[in-house]
Amino acid sequence: MLLRYLAFAVSFALLMMGAQGAWAQEKSGTKPGFVLPRGSAKILLIRPTISVGAQSTGGMFEPNADWTAQARDNIAAALALAQTRLGNQVIVAEEPVGPAAQAMADYRALFSVVADSVMRYQFFPGNRLPSKKRKGVFDWTMGPGGAEIARETGADYALFLSNQDQYGSTGRKILQVFAAFAYVSVKSGEHTGMAGLIDLKTGDLVWLNADMAMGGDVRTPQGAKKRVAQLLEDFPGSTPPATPAAE
Amino acid sequence: MRGGGWRQVAAVVALLTSQAAQAEPIPTLPPYSGAYQPQGVDERGLWMLVDENERSFRDSTVVINDAPLKAYIQQIMCRMVGAARCQTVRLYIVRDTSFNASMAPNGMMIVHTGLLLRARDEGELAAVLGHEFAHFELRHTLLGFQQGRKAGDIAAWAGVAGAAAWTYGGRNAYDTVRMARSVQNAAIGSTYAHTRNQERQADLLSMAYLRASAYDPHCFPDVWDRLLDKADATAHGRRQRSKRYDRAGFSDNHPTELERTTTLRRLAMAMNKPGEDGKARYDMALAGWRAQWIDDEIKRNDFEGTDYILRQIAGPDWTPDLLFARAELYRTRGHPHDLAAAVGFYRDVVARDPTHAEAYRGLGLAQLRSHDAAGAEALRTYLTMKPAAEDAAMISMLIQ
Repeated sequence: MLLRYLAFAVSFALLMMGAQGAWAQEKSGTKPGFVLPRGSAKILLIRPTISVGAQSTGGMFEPNADWTAQARDNIAAALALAQTRLGNQVIVAEEPVGPAAQAMADYRALFSVVADSVMRYQFFPGNRLPSKKRKGVFDWTMGPGGAEIARETGADYALFLSNQDQYGSTGRKILQVFAAFAYVSVKSGEHTGMAGLIDLKTGDLVWLNADMAMGGDVRTPQGAKKRVAQLLEDFPGSTPPATPAAE
Repeated sequence: MRGGGWRQVAAVVALLTSQAAQAEPIPTLPPYSGAYQPQGVDERGLWMLVDENERSFRDSTVVINDAPLKAYIQQIMCRMVGAARCQTVRLYIVRDTSFNASMAPNGMMIVHTGLLLRARDEGELAAVLGHEFAHFELRHTLLGFQQGRKAGDIAAWAGVAGAAAWTYGGRNAYDTVRMARSVQNAAIGSTYAHTRNQERQADLLSMAYLRASAYDPHCFPDVWDRLLDKADATAHGRRQRSKRYDRAGFSDNHPTELERTTTLRRLAMAMNKPGEDGKARYDMALAGWRAQWIDDEIKRNDFEGTDYILRQIAGPDWTPDLLFARAELYRTRGHPHDLAAAVGFYRDVVARDPTHAEAYRGLGLAQLRSHDAAGAEALRTYLTMKPAAEDAAMISMLIQ
């Protein structure tokens, strides 16, 4: 009896190491009726939140500065390419100074809270807020003040991106194999991404895509193209899918 | 018999640790080269994370960007760790009532207003800032990260071994599973023990800075003494047990305050170095800020803890401002006897400083809540003194 309990506890602890994020399925939402008019939009890219690293044997995130720098460059390049192909113009937000910097910090923080709420209270069906249950409803906003972050850029939309990549280390992969022999599942590597578009006139969130299991190795230009294609899947106005035949 | 054996083991352990405690010397200050750049994958990765974090943190609304205040705190930092070291520090004062400060591996130092409020003088603040700087100088974040990773790896392998033993059975399966659990526990416990040791090292290095600085080293144990007293006051107010004499638990990442204050007091006495505490300068520099920070502190709903802090700041002579803060604290809790006490405090305030409009406001509100019609008169006085007050409309509604 005790043995059974201990073994359960051990395997449970192991399972917990690898099994985060399984509940959050790939999901995206678009504000009803919203279409990005093709070839006219000016999109302001807010500094993406990117961290790339390895996953230790025990499942810890090991940040890697070089990989992150590569990913930052690759993703920006792939994004510019994808949008130009759609006829839209992507401008990279400049580092603000003074009160503008505070507004930017405020709205970046606000966006992450809004996006997080969408994932938690709308994308996850078991946990939907009563006001988000009706089919087709996608009603989220940062408020009209959001225009402040794009002052004098002439941008119509702001695009927020975030990515976290943990590549399974060699130790993690070996552990995975041995654990499989013991009928315990260990996950190696974790790749999550999120992209959201804000209409700067109203502050409304018009599109959000959150993916807890992404493809494409962001450390290489080719992989980053694939990642960006996945991030921009169902991007409003990007029919047919913006996948530029990656790989 | 078994108990006897344990007692012997405990006695040996106690002897060993007490000897270790006796032997801890204050380190000599290591040579310091400025403009350090991170080395290796792990350190560069950690810097990358905190650099990115600092990019947005510097613009956050919780950061108090007051040039004179920042310059003053930076000055204390420099007096504590020396000009070469303090140049590395990028200071962020954060409006947060908790008694805390931290320093990231890239040189970003965060100081909470709760610490500024509760430190009695420059020496006490310097001791805590020195402790945080010691974490930075000794690269504790990196070492802790590496230690945690090693422990996580061991725990993961032990988990697989235990699961395999369970799956494939065999005669010794039970022992293997039990051992795997022990190994996991030891690995996890070791990370907490490691951070506790880092805290002790940082305390010692902070003592080394204190020795080289103009400050009195007794300031350091004084901080912890009053932290313990404040925690006791809070516990008493909340009808909780005092944790003063508790030992550090399995998952505690700091040694107990009692251990720290005992060790530091002994070291300070042995050092026997005179020094200043800079209280006069400290009081003057923070005079304009205390009202806001006390106001934040009152909102913590920690009546006896806050009262303890106010009594500590006031000492024997209560200034009208501190007396007013105390009155607000009592009125905020608002038991009938608190209101009676608050009325007394407000009266003292206006007796000593008849221009204190807010005191009339508090007096009036406390009196009205106690069914004392005289409150209307006090509120009227408040409105005459401050006709453009933010709450003027609400207050005038109360006295119609």
